[in-house]
Amino acid sequence: MNLSAQNVVKRFGDFTALSGVNLDVKSGEFVALLGPSGSGKTTLLRILAGLEFPDSGRITMGGQDMSSAAARERRVGFVFQHYALFRHMSVAENIGFGLSVRPRASRPPKSEIARRVAELLDLVQLSNIGGRYPAQLSGGQRQRVALARALAVEPRILLLDEPFGALDAKVRKDLRRWLRDVHERMGLTSVFVTHDQEEALDLADRVVVMDHGCIEQVDTPENVWDRPATAFVCDFLGGTNRIACRGVDGAIDIGGVRLPNRAPDLPDGPAIGFIRPHEFGLAAAGAPGIAVTLRRILRTGARAALEATTADGAIIEASISDPPATLAAGISLVLVPTAVRAYPGI
Amino acid sequence: MNAVTEPRWLRWILIALALAFLALNLGLPLAVVFVEAFKKGSATYFAAIAEPDARAALRLTLLVAAIAVPLNIAVGLAASWAIAKFDFRFKSFLVTLIDLPFSVSPVVAGLIYVLLFGLQGWWGEWLQAHDVQIIFAVPGLVLATVFITFPFVARELIPLMEEQGREEEEAALSLGASGWATFTRVTLPNIRWGLLYGVLLCNARAMGEFGAVSVVSGHIRGKTTTLPLHIEILYNEYNFVAAFAVASLLAGLALVTLVVKSFLEWQHAGQLAGRGH
Repeated sequence: MNLSAQNVVKRFGDFTALSGVNLDVKSGEFVALLGPSGSGKTTLLRILAGLEFPDSGRITMGGQDMSSAAARERRVGFVFQHYALFRHMSVAENIGFGLSVRPRASRPPKSEIARRVAELLDLVQLSNIGGRYPAQLSGGQRQRVALARALAVEPRILLLDEPFGALDAKVRKDLRRWLRDVHERMGLTSVFVTHDQEEALDLADRVVVMDHGCIEQVDTPENVWDRPATAFVCDFLGGTNRIACRGVDGAIDIGGVRLPNRAPDLPDGPAIGFIRPHEFGLAAAGAPGIAVTLRRILRTGARAALEATTADGAIIEASISDPPATLAAGISLVLVPTAVRAYPGI
Repeated sequence: MNAVTEPRWLRWILIALALAFLALNLGLPLAVVFVEAFKKGSATYFAAIAEPDARAALRLTLLVAAIAVPLNIAVGLAASWAIAKFDFRFKSFLVTLIDLPFSVSPVVAGLIYVLLFGLQGWWGEWLQAHDVQIIFAVPGLVLATVFITFPFVARELIPLMEEQGREEEEAALSLGASGWATFTRVTLPNIRWGLLYGVLLCNARAMGEFGAVSVVSGHIRGKTTTLPLHIEILYNEYNFVAAFAVASLLAGLALVTLVVKSFLEWQHAGQLAGRGH
């Protein structure tokens, strides 16, 4: 079921959490809302779920206006960051809750609820612990119970708030795959919030990058990674070097090296270029490029990680393949960028 | 031995100190009440209790508690729900207001009602014209008791509900539960132990309140004297045995309350431990 937010504005006192956000999620898509804390991503998710209401703007689901519908009318599955399991209910009771609170007319009989719970316990691979209480479960198990509970009411849309935030790295990787699997199998439309760019790129069909209550970019993971729309997106994805450069005739000039811009076109003049560590080659001192002094070098197999400083003291981190044996700390050399994303100077 | 383990002799001294203090300050007075009450034999004891004025005082005490406690449960629940789960202006003011009955002397609380509803009070004339008596009658006793015992339930619940947050309620709502189902199936079970504790304290105070009730009561024997007031009257008449006999009733009610609480805690100990409270 498709899902859209149009011109959504939300303020908390003086703080503007969302300033006119537009987002369309297609049926069956798996979308990540990515951004730093305070960027409004969780607020947007909660507004989609009906847990908050926008000051202005529209929410539609399957073409229907849901802007003022209460959470219970939206039939949306919501998975909370800290799971929010009912602490006084067993795992099975937690999962069956959504079915057992239905109005009498549409409530399935007890045996049917039990069958459904058993099925979901099976789906989340927790069949043997239905009688336990949330306090007796590990983080990963709680997360899966929370998911089963949300799925029990057969939602058409699944919303997840930092679903892997509180888990350790190994469990997180496993759960990611498994969640993607459940999404496909049940034909869900899913939106999840994360501040971990690797998770967003790895899992989502499309990534929505947010900052300060605005959407900076909505695109496939490849495009977000390769062609970030704004300096913020490029910076937030991390691991880049910032280098002063110039826009010249639609191309970018870095110390005499001309490269096409992998970011939206920008006018001629001073600009800030972002270069990733692996997007450097080496040249002897005097060649066009960025003149640096090598500070440290760490060889790992066929590659080497370099830490160098430019004439004006900026630090550049580069990762070079097949480093020559002569490379040593203290020597002067030139780093030749092979790709750049440049944005207007700030 | 780890860092927080004190030497054995120090532990014994601390335990002995605590026990001695409790025995002297709590155990001894309690024992005195019962010893004095039975000083002239059980016949005198039961006669003092069976006396019509004493029975009337007991009935009145139970009646006042039966009105004040449920009222304070309802209002206390509503207030703590509002404070813990919603943001609104004047919230901190409301929290301060809830503490007012604790910080105001009970005598002053009683006087407030006299000034409002008494014959010379603000609404005195109007009330008299409509033949409604509040001061020196049961309604006044109830009002004063409600005022004094209001904070117990709310004070117990607010920190508990604030600590538990809103997420479980939000989860219930997103799963399709109505507001009422959310309250009865998620909120209430989560706070039941705090609520029980608050109710027991509230009840103990409602039955034992002296100051505020004394001001609004008028001390009409058999009509507006609750147990604590009746005890004072007997004591002032040098009728010590009867005073202590009735006092033992009040002490007995307190002991029953404690026993009920311990029993419930013991019954559900496994549940409490298993559910991570």
